[in-house]
Amino acid sequence: MITNRKRLSSGLSVTSKVFVRSRNGNALKIVREHYLRNDIPCYSHACHKCQEIVKPDAQGQLPKFILSSSPTKTKDGVSHYVVIDTNIILHAIDLLENTQCFYDVIVPQTVLEEVRNRSFPIYQRLRNLVKSEDKRFVVFHNEYNEATYVNREKGQSINDRNDHAIRKVASWFNSHLNTENSPTPIHIIFICNDVDNCTKAKQEGIDARSLVDYIDSLPNGEDLRDLIPSDIVLPGNFEGDQNETVFPEYYSNARIMAGIKNGTLYQGMLNISSYNYLQGTVSVPAFKKPLLIIGSKNLNRAFNSDSVIVELLPKDKWKEPSSTIIEEGSIGADDNAGDDEDDLGEETGGVVSDKERVFLAQEAMKATSSKTNESRLQPTAKIVGVVRRSWRYYVGQIAPSSVSEETGHSSRSCFVILMDKLLPKVRIRTRKAKEYLGQRIVIVVDSWPSNSRYPNGHFVRTLGEIESAEAETEALLLEHDVEYRPFSKNVLDCLPKEGDNWVVPDMTDPQDPQLKKRVDLRDRLVCSIDPPGCVDIDDALHARVLPNGNYEVGVHIADVTHFVKPNTALDQEGASRGTSVYLVDKRIDMLPMLLGTNLCSLKPFVDRFAFSVIWELDENANILKVDYMKSVIKSRQAFSYEQAQLRIDDPTQTDELTNSMRVLLKLSKKLKQGRMDAGALNLASPEVKVHMDSETSDPQEVEIKKLLETNSLVEEFMLFANISVARKIYDSYPQTAMLRRHAPPPATNFETLNDMLNVRKNGMSISLESSKALADSLDRIVDPNDPYFNTLIRIMSTRCMMAAEYFPSGSYGYPEFRHYGLAVDIYTHFTSPIRRYCDVVVHRQLAGAIGYENLDLSHRDKQRMEMIVKNINKRHRNAQFAGRSSIEYYVGQVMRNNEAEHEGYVIKCFNNGIVVLVPKFGVEGLIKLETMGDLATANYNEDKYELTFTDLKGAQRTVAMFDKVTVDVKSVKDEVSGKRRAQLMLR
Amino acid sequence: MELYSPEGLRIDGRRWNELRRFECKINTHPHSADGSSYVEQGNTKIICMVRGPMEPAMKSQVNATSSTVEVNVSLANFSTFERKKRSKTDKRITELKTTLERTFNECIMGHLYPRTLISVTVQVLAQDGGLLAAMTNAVTLALIDAGIAMYDYVSGVNAGLYDQTSALLDLNTLEENDMCSLTIGVIGKSEKLALVVLEDKLPLDRLESVLAIAIAGSHRIRELMDMEVRKHGNMRLAKVSV
Ligand SMILES: [Zn+2]
Repeated sequence: MITNRKRLSSGLSVTSKVFVRSRNGNALKIVREHYLRNDIPCYSHACHKCQEIVKPDAQGQLPKFILSSSPTKTKDGVSHYVVIDTNIILHAIDLLENTQCFYDVIVPQTVLEEVRNRSFPIYQRLRNLVKSEDKRFVVFHNEYNEATYVNREKGQSINDRNDHAIRKVASWFNSHLNTENSPTPIHIIFICNDVDNCTKAKQEGIDARSLVDYIDSLPNGEDLRDLIPSDIVLPGNFEGDQNETVFPEYYSNARIMAGIKNGTLYQGMLNISSYNYLQGTVSVPAFKKPLLIIGSKNLNRAFNSDSVIVELLPKDKWKEPSSTIIEEGSIGADDNAGDDEDDLGEETGGVVSDKERVFLAQEAMKATSSKTNESRLQPTAKIVGVVRRSWRYYVGQIAPSSVSEETGHSSRSCFVILMDKLLPKVRIRTRKAKEYLGQRIVIVVDSWPSNSRYPNGHFVRTLGEIESAEAETEALLLEHDVEYRPFSKNVLDCLPKEGDNWVVPDMTDPQDPQLKKRVDLRDRLVCSIDPPGCVDIDDALHARVLPNGNYEVGVHIADVTHFVKPNTALDQEGASRGTSVYLVDKRIDMLPMLLGTNLCSLKPFVDRFAFSVIWELDENANILKVDYMKSVIKSRQAFSYEQAQLRIDDPTQTDELTNSMRVLLKLSKKLKQGRMDAGALNLASPEVKVHMDSETSDPQEVEIKKLLETNSLVEEFMLFANISVARKIYDSYPQTAMLRRHAPPPATNFETLNDMLNVRKNGMSISLESSKALADSLDRIVDPNDPYFNTLIRIMSTRCMMAAEYFPSGSYGYPEFRHYGLAVDIYTHFTSPIRRYCDVVVHRQLAGAIGYENLDLSHRDKQRMEMIVKNINKRHRNAQFAGRSSIEYYVGQVMRNNEAEHEGYVIKCFNNGIVVLVPKFGVEGLIKLETMGDLATANYNEDKYELTFTDLKGAQRTVAMFDKVTVDVKSVKDEVSGKRRAQLMLR
Repeated sequence: MELYSPEGLRIDGRRWNELRRFECKINTHPHSADGSSYVEQGNTKIICMVRGPMEPAMKSQVNATSSTVEVNVSLANFSTFERKKRSKTDKRITELKTTLERTFNECIMGHLYPRTLISVTVQVLAQDGGLLAAMTNAVTLALIDAGIAMYDYVSGVNAGLYDQTSALLDLNTLEENDMCSLTIGVIGKSEKLALVVLEDKLPLDRLESVLAIAIAGSHRIRELMDMEVRKHGNMRLAKVSV
């Protein structure tokens, strides 16, 4: 409700908004001031009036005019702007982000606020659309504009009033832009899916259209039609399902709130087991052990990593975690997606399908029979609410069996099997199901009503043929939430105008006070050592003997923060990407190419800005002195590891540069010894490298990565620099220094592995007292007959370790800063600012610490640092997973041509299968019992980790944990998920 | 809602450097006090009454060389959206009281009124941010109305820092709750501060920008107060000369 307006001397008019809110059952009358103004521009280049009324913001920036003066046209050639309604944004944000449509869009403030109240993530996506300027979206603050503000009539609902306000925006733009003297008419189209609102708009002379009508009116409308979300095309769609409820309804908000308060309900994140998609766990602070959620009815429509509300089941339903493998492929893959009732739920009395019931029964038997082992019993729970969905873009493929044979032009339902095995299949409607068969497609989940067995979604776009390198690469980037789109214009605008021609300015220029603070190190014999073909050279080194016999050693890191200034669009993009992502055949940069591979890259033979750490070390690599400085350097040579190694090993090379590398190598060995003595871990992971044919870029062969002495040379000095820098920034910023820690593994992580070692390998064990003890005990675990066994245990130990993480120093006490794996008390990342955002922050903090420039506030504020850290930890993890999946994909392609038998090791045992790791490819695969022998004869001895069965030839056979087995490795395409993976067959 | 949108508009529609509606009156209660005033700064509404200079009731309040300013603050139970009873010893009230006493002891020409007490009562009718600033303005006006000699106007306003980057002038409650803010009282047209209160912490290198808009805002408020005082003065003068 609005009371009268009052004009102020400053040109504003003020009204007050009065509304009633209920709090704790009491009605509360709230009065707020609301100012109306006449200096809000239309942001259109076609308008000349508004240029004169604009006012600067707190940073002194004038608003940018974004809307084009020659906007896109409809099929009929009508140049138009679009005003969108709230429901369009909420349901079709993907379509708005699509680059083939929706340019020059006006978002009324009323709509923006409604979106923000309904879904914060969508609000953020909308804000990003506005910010990037690529698609020319503007927010028009109609609520603050005198000309467009509307009062709420007596008896009018808030919704009706807001609808009116939004329509008012459309009509205002129409009359504002199309006066007699405007050169080109610009039509305003109001897109709205509310029939009532549309009718009213038309009565008011506005061109209102539904989303479908609008898309149809575009020249490329035919292509875009399938992208319209299912629930907009046919509200209350997918009717057809059973009429009865399949899943229990979620509890009401009030009930959930009350339940959490009185401790009967708990909130946590759902983790679906990677071996059984019908089982998940939810960790809640109230219990030591995670709560088990078993069966789809209890999982109640939750997706992996949704934030859910759970309620405990009675104690008689508590059970052990399943040791059976269930993949979705094996259950219900042949269901019909159809809308016809006859096809669905014939024999399903509720949600439990027959196969599912069998598994559940087996499980129940087990829970009752193994009473002996009470301690393994885990409390179970059911999901009664979903607080936050983890829904995002999903990549999958249409299940061929779900595509109806009928031809016709109307859209039909079909199932999409997602690449992520932990997620259920999704039903979409499309007219082109047949066309999309055999392609990787991107979809979005829209809803999962309680009367539907499967979630409903809609098609977004296709990535291309399954197994084509482009489609698979893009798929895995999407699956790991890696931002891979090209940098937007406003990001690229932050780069130096000179582009590739940028050079280090004249160091004697007295104009630039910052230049004076740089140290000229161009006389030092600096070189870089990197993998062959490296173009983004982060780091370079030098060493020389000082007159007093000590050594001067310098580590020089690319001075990225000279170009990436805080709070610029470039900085924000880097912060949000967090890290570069390295795939087998592709690199997704954190920062634009120009910086990474040219201006920042410490290329040889040219001057470059660097951030240098210079130590004075004695013969035993003890630090006598350390200095940090922004510098300018000139690298003498860019070596690959092999080249550097050859040069060091070649006694005929006696030039200064080679000698200095020998000094570095000698000192690095001392450093390494020191770390090893302190208990640094050497944990192996099956790192493999894929060789590509340079002509066809087809993968040729797989090789386990080889390590040279020069690898370790560089690594040691990078660690050394990171440690020194960590101490320095912690000293200057005790609350907000960006550090990296690695927590010691909790003993429970190693329980199973140690038990297996004890049972299978005569009492061998891994000690967890300290990292040194762990390192030593790992050295002792050797099988004299099998040199690989030690590596295998190291690989398995790595999986029991905690992940290292970034953190601001204020969030832990000093003793907890410790990096367990490296055995140092404090650590950070400083040496790769081109590809890691952590290092960017550390560079700024170090520059602040040495008084080079003031540190930006965001790196001095604890809360801001927490947010930065949270994001880069997540990005870092995703990047690792993406890299691994990429290798997996290519290894699969290599195996395709190299089918053979190989050695493998049993690394997991279940009652219906085993998991075998093949060191040659670094792949592991599941071997199901039914492919090895007779199910009925199988007997799994849990205490001894042994699976006994009659094999296909009728012989009695036993496989056990750690057994070395011979397997046929074959690369097969899973027809259901379209994923190629190693299929292993036991010999 | 966005506190400060990328388009440069605040939650109530103002821009970064705009004051809220400021209205004031003096001599509102001519019969019950020597000087009185009423101030509305946005939805913050204050009545102030001044009695004195007069003989102190207690010996302890006597200062042989100067007057003593005593401030009593009361917040009406209905001044916030949720009605709340507050005791007189509420910590926040005590803080407001001592801040105002200290400020005005400095700004009144106390040596003209030795051995006297100047009693100031501040009644808060409604709170919507900038409480201390509005009180300062109300006290200044009431003191002027009472004819007590002051060095100059003390005009107050608050300002805050949004997102560590944007300085915003004259915060309302919603804004105040979400950012660190600073209240200042400026003496006359100078840049001298009679009062600085900083809640929460503010990075030192941003202090200048926040102070700058706060001072500019205070000067604007001083003009508005001056207009009211002159208007009232002229009115009285007209009455006298009739
Ligand atoms: Zn205009």
